[in-house]
Amino acid sequence: MDIIESKTWVEWLITIAKFGFCFVPVLYILLLIPMERRGAGFMQDRQGPNRSYIKVPYFGKVRLFGYVQNMCDGTKLFFKEMFAPKGAKKFLYYVAPAIPFAIVFLSPCVIPWFGPMVFEWGGKVVRIAGPIVDSEVGILLLFGFSSLSAYGAVLAGLSSRSKYSYLGSLRTTAMTISYEVCQGLSMMGLLVLAGSFSLTDIVSWQEHHVWGIVAQPVAFFCFLIATIAETGRAPFDVAEGEPELVAGYHTEYGAMQFGLFYMGEYSHICISSLLVATLFLGGYSVPFVTTETIQAHMGGSLAILCWVLAFFALAFLHMIYRYSRKLRASAQSNKMEILQEYKLYKGIGWIAAFVLVCAGIASWMLYNPQVTVVNGVAVNTLGAALGTALIHLLVLLVKSVFFCWVWIWVRWTLPRFRYDHVMHLGWKIILNIAILNLVVTAVVAKLMGGN
Amino acid sequence: MARVIRQRPMNWVERLYIFEAIRGLWTTLKHAARGLFRYEELPTISYPEGQPEVRSTYRAKHRLMLRPDGTPRCVACGMCAAACPAHCIYIEATASDDPRIEKKVKRFDIDHLTCVFCGLCVEACPVDALRMDTKEIIFEHRTRDEFVANLKTLTSWDPKDYPDDAQSQKAPGGKLNAEARKVWGMEVKN
Repeated sequence: MDIIESKTWVEWLITIAKFGFCFVPVLYILLLIPMERRGAGFMQDRQGPNRSYIKVPYFGKVRLFGYVQNMCDGTKLFFKEMFAPKGAKKFLYYVAPAIPFAIVFLSPCVIPWFGPMVFEWGGKVVRIAGPIVDSEVGILLLFGFSSLSAYGAVLAGLSSRSKYSYLGSLRTTAMTISYEVCQGLSMMGLLVLAGSFSLTDIVSWQEHHVWGIVAQPVAFFCFLIATIAETGRAPFDVAEGEPELVAGYHTEYGAMQFGLFYMGEYSHICISSLLVATLFLGGYSVPFVTTETIQAHMGGSLAILCWVLAFFALAFLHMIYRYSRKLRASAQSNKMEILQEYKLYKGIGWIAAFVLVCAGIASWMLYNPQVTVVNGVAVNTLGAALGTALIHLLVLLVKSVFFCWVWIWVRWTLPRFRYDHVMHLGWKIILNIAILNLVVTAVVAKLMGGN
Repeated sequence: MARVIRQRPMNWVERLYIFEAIRGLWTTLKHAARGLFRYEELPTISYPEGQPEVRSTYRAKHRLMLRPDGTPRCVACGMCAAACPAHCIYIEATASDDPRIEKKVKRFDIDHLTCVFCGLCVEACPVDALRMDTKEIIFEHRTRDEFVANLKTLTSWDPKDYPDDAQSQKAPGGKLNAEARKVWGMEVKN
């Protein structure tokens, strides 16, 4: 009971609330699928899927820019029949798709979502760590989790009794093993610099020195390529290359079993992009501004955040208005319907812009919490600590969404490599560059007198 | 003669792949940015609602030109049926009431399921009776028979749709076309 009583209820509340971060990859799936489809459409000068709609009383058919397509797809997959091919090992066959998707809930536990919150509550100084599990070996745990998801592919290939699935799973295994090595070694240079396996320490090192991408540009490229390969996406998706193996390890899967593989792949992208952002792009740290500065000018920082968001709302409105002007002049037969739908977006946009501008002004004028220093550590009020955490979280999400975009971008640009090219690239090029980078980094770090 | 295209060997920058990959990424980024920020400039037409612009030179559905009194110009010579590579035109002729003209058309069917839209019938027509400038490119019907355009459907076009064509303006047009046909004693069956 000592542990329970030693913590205040606010600390308990925040600690439990942090478990909500486990669901971030699942939310990312909702973001990534439309982003991928419409992004692919835009790159090919198409519009992408935008036809499914929900009927809303006044506004008519609300299409939400193609987001409704997600729900339609999900519903379709969910209500299709699940079946196992003849001769499949039933238990493994049904369990396999769940593995990559279940891993998704474990991996976010070790990612630092915000800097350590230090605040005063009830006469005590409370410190709450960024990740759900503030482990000393956070990054190793994360690697362990993300390698586990290969089991899904392997079991799927073995159990579905199809030569295509079998070959696909063999390729996945080989690729996961070879690129895990590259990934681990390319990241080592950064660990040497930061001197720790804990992701929180790595981020705080980046915050106080330079971002990983500046300190280790070569490692960044190696890591990015290895991570793209490890998620099994184009140009490295030989494991499911349609021309050779019908669909690779999930050839025999349909319905929601296929859906689980699909979602597992997207959440793997989410985790990997969060990892790249954390390791090489300073994680939750805001560029050019230290956390102390933000906390010292809490109201101003929140105001800037609000105004940046308000700017995006206004830019969105601008695009909506420009498009509706063009649409009104066109001869499209359903233009009144679409314009009616746009009234909803215009309303939301204007309300959001107004609220954000007002919130920005209010927090700038009214909110100026004091920072006290206890034993050399800056201690904030609860509000300031939560505000900092919010800013940190948003910054991390923006960075990781950018990397998710890189995944999609690369997929729809580069053609698929041949299988032996993939292995050649992994073992003979990236691995060597990574090792060389590690050696050089270690020597330079020693000479510069780091850790 | 086959033409041999000698491809320039790749230089070392191109063989490194990474720089060429970045060039490719830049290209797709430009296109993606256009789609995102200039959505209305995408060349795609959201089809059933927005129709593509069809020029009058496009070989679309046929129409039969009319004389100023509303009768078809067609003299039932059968040149178009002879020129048609798909054998989709069927013509029946009858004697004309007009002493200056030998024959008039009694039945003129074009089967659009067989038609290849080559435009040879239009080229062959000696009196410029048949044209393919209706800009109608959608053929959707319930039964096969409805795909066969007959004299009635071929002549019931509206002069308002052809504002640039002076010859089309001389025809009575619309409901008057049907009345003119009735006066001429040309009741169209089927």
